Amino acid sequence: MAIKPQKPPAMIRDYWPRFRKRAIGLVILMQVAATLAIGLALVLAGVTTTTIVFWITLIAVLAANVGINLLLFSQLLTPLKDLTSALTHVSGEPTIVTPPNPNARHFERDGFKPILQLIYEMAATEGKGRPSEPNQTEKQYADLSSALDNTAVGFIVLDTTGKIIYANDHAPVHTDNEGNAIIDLLSDDEFNLDAWLKECEDKSVHTEKTWQRVANKIPGEEGRKLYDIVGSYNKGSKAEVVLTLFERTDLYQPEDEDLDFIAFAAHELRGPITVIRGYLDVLGDELDGQLDESQVELMKRLVVSANRLSSYVNNILNASRYDRRHLKIHLREDSITEIYDSIADDMQLRATSQNRLLSVHFPDNLPSVAADGASISEVLSNLIDNAIKYSNEGGAVNVTGSVEGDYVKIAVEDHGIGMPGSVVSNLFHKFYRSHRSRETVAGTGIGLYITKAIVESHGGKIEVRSVEGQGSTFEFTLPIYSTVAEKLKANDNSNEEFINHREGGWIKNHAMYRG
Amino acid sequence: MAIKTILCIEDDRFIGEMYVRSLKKAGYDVDWMVDGNDGLVAARNKPYDLILLDIMLPERRGSEILAALRGSGENLVPHTKIIVLTNFDQDEESRLAMEHNVDAYLIKADITPKKLLAIIDKLAQV
Repeated sequence: MAIKPQKPPAMIRDYWPRFRKRAIGLVILMQVAATLAIGLALVLAGVTTTTIVFWITLIAVLAANVGINLLLFSQLLTPLKDLTSALTHVSGEPTIVTPPNPNARHFERDGFKPILQLIYEMAATEGKGRPSEPNQTEKQYADLSSALDNTAVGFIVLDTTGKIIYANDHAPVHTDNEGNAIIDLLSDDEFNLDAWLKECEDKSVHTEKTWQRVANKIPGEEGRKLYDIVGSYNKGSKAEVVLTLFERTDLYQPEDEDLDFIAFAAHELRGPITVIRGYLDVLGDELDGQLDESQVELMKRLVVSANRLSSYVNNILNASRYDRRHLKIHLREDSITEIYDSIADDMQLRATSQNRLLSVHFPDNLPSVAADGASISEVLSNLIDNAIKYSNEGGAVNVTGSVEGDYVKIAVEDHGIGMPGSVVSNLFHKFYRSHRSRETVAGTGIGLYITKAIVESHGGKIEVRSVEGQGSTFEFTLPIYSTVAEKLKANDNSNEEFINHREGGWIKNHAMYRG
Repeated sequence: MAIKTILCIEDDRFIGEMYVRSLKKAGYDVDWMVDGNDGLVAARNKPYDLILLDIMLPERRGSEILAALRGSGENLVPHTKIIVLTNFDQDEESRLAMEHNVDAYLIKADITPKKLLAIIDKLAQV
């Protein structure tokens, strides 16, 4: 719904009476002043106020002044009066004044006729004819507003107080019962208008920000639209904030449907994985002590493979969500040691079943980090899995942690085949596999891609050092919790609330419950 | 709160049997329903200590069962813990809405019966 501001009407017909009143007032004032001055001059010249000469002179001067002024007034200002009344007429404003007739003789004589003709002609060709200054603006406003309503783009203008002062037809805005205009868009970690406005106010004079895939309704709800939005901020301007919204529903909706497909596919894949992992778990317990060494080894391989399969499904799901900007990271205080503990058994099993020596050592005093535990356990699992894959039989894989500035740095080091520089630069691209790894090691090339995405979503960085033939070291950083705690609390988008309010009974696949 | 009786609402036979077998072996008293309607009726009729709730169910989805039991501000099962056990990757909004109303929200493929027992133990201590 479009919301238009009210403009105070400025009428053309009001101009002339106002002007005339002012002019007459001025004439009277000046006459009185002139008469007084002459009276004063006479007194100074020695003419006493009681003499008849004094009064005759004064009255004569006053009469002459009035005569001259009236003559001047009518001669000089009549064209202005005619001009105004002609303009009032063509503007369409209601008036009782007869418009000046351009064919009148005196207009022909004094040359005013062509001026009047021009005004009436311009009005006729303009159609509606509102050629005077203030109405021109109003017309332009109406034209502009209807043009904006006819574009496929939404515009929302906010004033310095954050109130909506304009919204065109395509802007997702509604008016509540109290007449306040409200923007219909879902806020999330990315798109938070209030937070952005506050940030602009505190820090910026002129700035712009782009958001993608902002929705007006939750998935599945009817009339859901998706927008790309550009916000412009100009401090102190009348239109301090302008939001330009490009509807991209057609572009994004199919991707959402793809995502639905992937969600269903994942559901189907996870079913059998659940059963395999579950029964291996049950069988492992029930057959404990009855299997010989080689059978135990086979069981281990089954468990490792099932666990890997589960990780791969999660990688595919996460990568697909990330590509569609649906990957959500919920940061909260967590310890690297605890996150690793959740996958420790699985990782050790993977290492030993392939004859690798996995040693993990995090210092006891490592500060807690701001992390999404489930996602970081996937990062660790991907990096350790890679290190195992690309190292040699009997090789050592070392995982360590240290503090670097405001970050905790975790390093996963192997002494395997390593990589040449040309491979390293492409390593984090989706589906990238080096020529040699294609031949020798199984994989999809999706693990490092999603690993990088997760680390960067945390505000961390991932790097790799590698020497061909000597091994590789992957290092990633995560922000130390205390350095970002304030910020996290300020725009609390984590699950913290949910977790606390159920008296600590709230658990999700996290920490010690995975694997 | 001690946990003794458990209602498992799970339509997949293999997965259902797997959980029921492990839970019974661990000494719990377990009822198993394979569709959403039966599950909701059972949950209403008997005060279970714990409900294991799948989402993708025939007849009535797990989210609807949860809404019927704990939605609209009224908690029909105040003395029952609820664990959502699903392999379905819900969109963020729906997942958060459910997480808000349950005691645990778990991906089945990421846990094993042994881990599930550990979680139930932990919930019983709360």
